[in-house]
Amino acid sequence: MIRLTVNGRKIQVAKGTTLLDACKKLDLVIPTLCYQEGYGQHTSCMICVVEDTASGRLMPACSALAETGMTIETESAPVNEARQQALNLLLSEHVGDCEAPCSLICPAHMHIPRMLREIAGGAMRQAIETVKAHIAIPAVLGRICPAPCEKGCRRKEADAPVSICLLKRFAADADLSAKKPYIPARSQDTGKKIAVVGAGPAGMSAAYYAGALGHACTVFDKESKPGGAMRTMISDDILPPQIIDSEWHIIEKLGVVFTGGSRLGADWTLDTLRRQFDAVILCIGETDPDIIGSLGLETSGRGVRVHPGTFQTGTTGVFAGGGMISPGKLAVRSSAHGRSMAVSADQFLRGLPVTGPPERFQSRIGRIQPDEIPVLMQESGPGPRRDPEQGIRAGFTEPEASIEARRCLHCDCRKPESCRLRHYAEQYGATAKKYMGEERLPLEKKVQPGGVVYEQGKCIRCGLCVRITQKMKEPMGLTFLGRGFQVRIGAPFDASLDQALKSTADLCIRSCPTGALAWAETEEGTS
Amino acid sequence: MIFRPLIFAVVVDSGQETTMTEMHTESFDPEEMERIIRNAGEKRSDLIPILQAIQGHYHYLPAPVLHKCCEMTDITPAELFGVATFFPQFRHRPAGRHTIRVCMGTACHVKGSERVLDAFNRHLALKPGEDTDRDRLFTVSKVACLGCCTLAPVVQIDDVTYGHVLPSGVPDLLRDFLGRESGSSVSGKSGAFTLRAETEIRVGLGSCCQAGGSGAVFHSIQETVAGLDTPVSVKRVGCVGMCHQTPLMEIVLPGRDPVLYARVQIQDVPKIVQAHFKPVHPVLKLKNHVARWIEDLYTDAAWKPVTRYAIDVRDKPVAAFLGRQLHISTEFCGILDPLDLEEYEKHHGFEAAQDCYVSRSPEAIMDEVIASGIRGRGGAGFPTGRKWSLVRSAAGGPKTVICNCDEGDPGAFMDRMLLESYPYRVIEGMMIAAKAVGAHRCIFYIRAEYPLAVQRVGEAIRKCTEAGLLGDRPFDTDYSLSFSIQQGAGAFVCGEETALIASVEGKRGMPRIRPPYPSEHGLHGNPTLINNCETFATIPWIFQNGSGSFSRLGTEKSKGTKVFSLAGKIRRGGLIEVPMGITIREIVEDIGGGCADDKAFKAVQIGGPSGGCIPASMADTPVDYEALLNAGAMMGSGGLVVLDESDCMVDIARYFLAFTQQESCGKCTFCRIGTKRMLEILDRLCEGRASAADIDKLESLAQAVKKGSLCGLGRTAPNPVLSTLRYFREEVEAHVEGRCPAGKCKALIRYRITDDCIGCTRCAQGCPADAIPWTPYKKHEIDTEKCIRCDNCRQVCPSDAVEVN
Repeated sequence: MIRLTVNGRKIQVAKGTTLLDACKKLDLVIPTLCYQEGYGQHTSCMICVVEDTASGRLMPACSALAETGMTIETESAPVNEARQQALNLLLSEHVGDCEAPCSLICPAHMHIPRMLREIAGGAMRQAIETVKAHIAIPAVLGRICPAPCEKGCRRKEADAPVSICLLKRFAADADLSAKKPYIPARSQDTGKKIAVVGAGPAGMSAAYYAGALGHACTVFDKESKPGGAMRTMISDDILPPQIIDSEWHIIEKLGVVFTGGSRLGADWTLDTLRRQFDAVILCIGETDPDIIGSLGLETSGRGVRVHPGTFQTGTTGVFAGGGMISPGKLAVRSSAHGRSMAVSADQFLRGLPVTGPPERFQSRIGRIQPDEIPVLMQESGPGPRRDPEQGIRAGFTEPEASIEARRCLHCDCRKPESCRLRHYAEQYGATAKKYMGEERLPLEKKVQPGGVVYEQGKCIRCGLCVRITQKMKEPMGLTFLGRGFQVRIGAPFDASLDQALKSTADLCIRSCPTGALAWAETEEGTS
Repeated sequence: MIFRPLIFAVVVDSGQETTMTEMHTESFDPEEMERIIRNAGEKRSDLIPILQAIQGHYHYLPAPVLHKCCEMTDITPAELFGVATFFPQFRHRPAGRHTIRVCMGTACHVKGSERVLDAFNRHLALKPGEDTDRDRLFTVSKVACLGCCTLAPVVQIDDVTYGHVLPSGVPDLLRDFLGRESGSSVSGKSGAFTLRAETEIRVGLGSCCQAGGSGAVFHSIQETVAGLDTPVSVKRVGCVGMCHQTPLMEIVLPGRDPVLYARVQIQDVPKIVQAHFKPVHPVLKLKNHVARWIEDLYTDAAWKPVTRYAIDVRDKPVAAFLGRQLHISTEFCGILDPLDLEEYEKHHGFEAAQDCYVSRSPEAIMDEVIASGIRGRGGAGFPTGRKWSLVRSAAGGPKTVICNCDEGDPGAFMDRMLLESYPYRVIEGMMIAAKAVGAHRCIFYIRAEYPLAVQRVGEAIRKCTEAGLLGDRPFDTDYSLSFSIQQGAGAFVCGEETALIASVEGKRGMPRIRPPYPSEHGLHGNPTLINNCETFATIPWIFQNGSGSFSRLGTEKSKGTKVFSLAGKIRRGGLIEVPMGITIREIVEDIGGGCADDKAFKAVQIGGPSGGCIPASMADTPVDYEALLNAGAMMGSGGLVVLDESDCMVDIARYFLAFTQQESCGKCTFCRIGTKRMLEILDRLCEGRASAADIDKLESLAQAVKKGSLCGLGRTAPNPVLSTLRYFREEVEAHVEGRCPAGKCKALIRYRITDDCIGCTRCAQGCPADAIPWTPYKKHEIDTEKCIRCDNCRQVCPSDAVEVN
């Protein structure tokens, strides 16, 4: 037997046991990318390094054998640094957008490509769910949003961006006119009360998400109806008031109560609200600094000073957002603030660390080259961007929406949730720019329609798929081609992916630690 | 400069198209395909020899033949492609009729091989990414090291080697090569031999040769030949490109290798001619003489016929070159005919093996090796005796002894020299090891770039087998022993023992984690002893002279002698064998005669891509495994390149990192991507685009790669960079400021013509970029915008009027 120490605990293992297996016995989780039980070791990613403090050496746990006298540390500073460095290096050559640029530019981070695929596929219920995961008032925003998302659409490089905003409106309108419009499942009642002050886009959104999270929300506004400046400052032609009413109606279904004609000073003060409610969300729009001061809040140059990620003010349990913290009239941004404030308030009320909505790691391709456009166009429908035949105000018909939505390039990753590279990048604080290469590798994508998609740029050369096809005796299989920095995975004789992965496609896809190999039809995750 | 292996063209989509179209225009005879494949093997482990055979025939790997190979053998397409695209030796695109291999070894690098390569590309009008000219006459390739470091820069075209190549000499060189081909000579491709029909003496009468006095030499030869009764034609030939060695004289005998003499003086002519054509008694002696010259031609002392000749006559420092050395693995240097078995035996050859086979137990053999204190000559210095006893005591199937001659380090050619000159000694060392560890199978793993070594070793094995030394009953004992040769396929990483084993098994040459060590789990999972060629070459001496004689030499922890390839900016380069403990200063100054051209000695690069630079200020560091490690270098396999004040240390660090980056197998993240990112930073430094933060980034990355890489290649790859940062940080920082103090980095220097210009126009005539207007009798000017920093003008200027700053 081999006797060693792992994180200060003594353990005995049989000769020939790897450090990874030894750690498993102690229920220690070691990160791995290239390793999968049953398919041997390749020892390539080096994420699984642990430190033997007896020799001072770092060694890959998946393949290093336990030896008597070893003193292994699995989370020491050198170990975490090495893991981070390995991830920095892997990310430095990663060619792939975790999420599409349109989603990242959208202040609400709506999962736009997914919505487009759902519209294209006629799955309207899923489409509105996707929209409402981030945007509480899409029918409103679909009429007034300047659509910053479309500026980021990669389709623009080929001809013109996808008509995202109108498609979102199409999804929202379709939902509102449905027999049973979508109402999110409300979390169990928390018994906590939240006051939302201001019923503009920020307040409406905050109320929607806070209500859905199980809190009892009361929205105060000086006007008699919700909608704020959207109702008063935008012409009814552009934004008919009944659209605001319809979306408010859905918010009410989440247990939200509206108290109109309620004025600051006369009807409420921050102190009274704090006494009556467990948390206060302030979104009363652009506010005079003196008034901010009278509320006992700190000011920055532009509005109320808040923590940028959580929207917490200096006063416990009080959150502020929208026009109140930064001037400007971008409703979608205020709406995004509303959702963030709801999430922060929820964390606060549950006694969790207040972080706001999780900010995920993003791998970004950045600018694409003209010769890469055809690579991206493979999965998209042809044709120019189209306007609704009956005019913008009328919106898309269903066939129009479907054709337009198909123009999406699917430039977002198919495995944003299951990608372990992304997961570890977050865990170890790795970044792509630390060792960013001078020239990024070309964008590549092999698509078997309805079958396998292979994106070379996301491959970490772990060779799991090579080992799987070998073990499962694929007649063609996959192999390493070339070597060194330029090594890549491919099929011999330039065979297609279908030929290479006759019986092992699903196994390879499930094993692939990144989004390099995926089923074309995959739709992952909910955030 | 980033090396771009050409093989990748086949796997990228556009390249594949090319292959497909070309495939259809060529027809492949099925029977011929079958014959080639069948003759080379059928097992998975025969994959590399099969691919080598296919390429040997078609000059690349045509897809139909690869299909056939998968049909005929149990090798899968995935296995085949994995291997065929791993080794740089294999081509997937049709090649030109002749292959030009430009040596990128360290010695060649410091003497301007990049410029030579540029000159070939320019002359053949190759665009970036192309390697073959439009007429498909020449394919230009880079080779890590041809192991002819003293001839640097070196270029090989097919079987012809050109030394001291100047960029400006490239057109003449190609003309010369094509002239040889179309002339009366018949070239056959039997290894390195070039067969010619008639006996002739050729004298270089190119312009440089004439300047060197070859006209007078030519007349002297004619006179001497007239007195012989053998018909010999004396022929004038054009420039052969070795202008530093003029006058040149080549003796071509039917059926033998041509012998080339450099720096021939008139008074030497009769002696040289008589040595070849006048019968000398005993006949054997003549044979040996010629064989030795032949050997010298193809080995590193290729210019030794001259050097050695000079010893007898005049040059004193050259005697010192020999005198300070101690020959153990190179014993009887200059005396033994490499392939004369009888002669080797007369010099006590195989006595040690006989003693071990007849009278010693394996334990007794091992005790002797342990007592000698010898450590592995491959670089890391693991005690040889301990390695042997690990293999001896390992349980498992049939054991194998492998001689690691995959000498890929740029700037190292010890293995090549040992194999070409002392094949019997290496065989004897391996025989002793086989007995000691209980192995019955021995394999030589030799680089394919060393065709003569492969040929000599093959011949030596054949002769030993015929003589009964190998086979079923060596020395009438019942210990059967078989020897074979496996040729490498151009991957430096295969010098790492687990990668070497993978490639012998017919797999991609990728290292795996150790332990288990090959001593337990080696070839096909069985215990395997892998030692470096030099280690084996030292073993017979230890048994002949006793372990005590060996362990008395050297330092406390480093015993015996070490062979080095001494090259670079040195007056006398070549292969040397010195006792451990000798200082670097003694090697450079006493043996090497100091730097050439009266330049100041700046540093030695020792240990190649795994080693580092030791500055002149630390020249008293002894040659000792630990002392070199402490100094930030490494014994390595023994490349020792001397650098002078005109060498840029950042450029040297970049050069080595470019090498390891290119040679990375691509398995582990740290080496695959880490070395690439380090190289990018070094590129920025050399091009004046780096920031001060880049230096810190480089250092932290170097540490990460050193600690995190899987195998020795990656773990040592940062050493040249770290030693440069340690000893030459100011020089690195100067590059951030846009200065290259040594005046080497192209992007940071300018060429200027001084008032010393005599208006001879030679610079203007030679400028490949038309950057110098032709102004006879007037001071010339260089257009910096057009200048490509090829250095031609400076080299051709007769009045040293070209200044670099």
